[in-house]
Amino acid sequence: MKVKVVTRILEANDRIAAENRRLFDEAGVYVINLMSGPGAGKTSLLERTIKELSGKIKTAVIEGDIAGAADAERIGSLGVPVIQINTGGACHLDANMINEVLESLPLKETDLLFVENVGNLVCPAEFNIGEDMKAMILSITEGDDKPLKYPLMFQESSALLLNKIDLLPYTNVSVKKIRKDAMSLNPALRIFEVSCKTGKGIAEWADWLTKKVKS
Amino acid sequence: MHEASIALSVLEIAVDNCRKAGYNRIESIRLKIGRASGIMPDALLFAFNAVKADTIAEGASVTIDEIPVSGLCGSCGKEFVTEEKYVLCCPECSSASFNIKTGRELEIIDMEVF
Repeated sequence: MKVKVVTRILEANDRIAAENRRLFDEAGVYVINLMSGPGAGKTSLLERTIKELSGKIKTAVIEGDIAGAADAERIGSLGVPVIQINTGGACHLDANMINEVLESLPLKETDLLFVENVGNLVCPAEFNIGEDMKAMILSITEGDDKPLKYPLMFQESSALLLNKIDLLPYTNVSVKKIRKDAMSLNPALRIFEVSCKTGKGIAEWADWLTKKVKS
Repeated sequence: MHEASIALSVLEIAVDNCRKAGYNRIESIRLKIGRASGIMPDALLFAFNAVKADTIAEGASVTIDEIPVSGLCGSCGKEFVTEEKYVLCCPECSSASFNIKTGRELEIIDMEVF
């Protein structure tokens, strides 16, 4: 016998993402899903951004990694609430992993929740977790060919941070090409050139974030 | 890259729907996978064959309808279908203002149970 199913395979994920969304709205939390390849500077950006927002916006962090708690320890030393998720091999965070840790976070006392996804330029872009916004980092040392090689994340993100911009003189990377290709994939993309080492561009990014959180 | 977790979701939804319909074995499952979904059909089939063991779907075959990427251009107004996975500009007029209509699908269409 033939049974009609017509179900989105990720329907279960979308359902839990909607539930997360409801919890975030109820608590008045703005949620950013921060994605990038490994080593692009997600944790460094969070350290810089949290310090910049300190005293103005109450932040909290969910750290996603395949293994280890090194990132959570770095963020925890800043004195903000942080939860580490170990995916145990999975290449991305999904809505259910987020849902399971939400009760351990003081959502009501949080204005802005950063979810640092697993370092991976491909899969995290496929899974909604109930976020308000996806943001991504591309460190310029990864090369200017990345937008066209990994288009989905550039298409799904609202903001692109070009990190390690202080290293530009030592590379043959064209920021112009990254900008052109990324904008052709996603004309609404907001691009920030930053250096988590020198602090360049962090204030501009933090101001933009503050406006998003308060609107 | 995460075809295994997609295969597990397919299995879960299929088993659930089979039981709900009052049957105990799944013979075949038909999926609709968009070319820009990020899922490789061969890897998904491989993963499904691994996860279906010892379930009511262990004898099930999976067929995949691949859906090409199509869209509607906001500048020239033309609809287009392409063999490419990702579209950077309208194939007709090269404008960047277009909406993708199909190509991101990841669905179970139907299945044969008995």
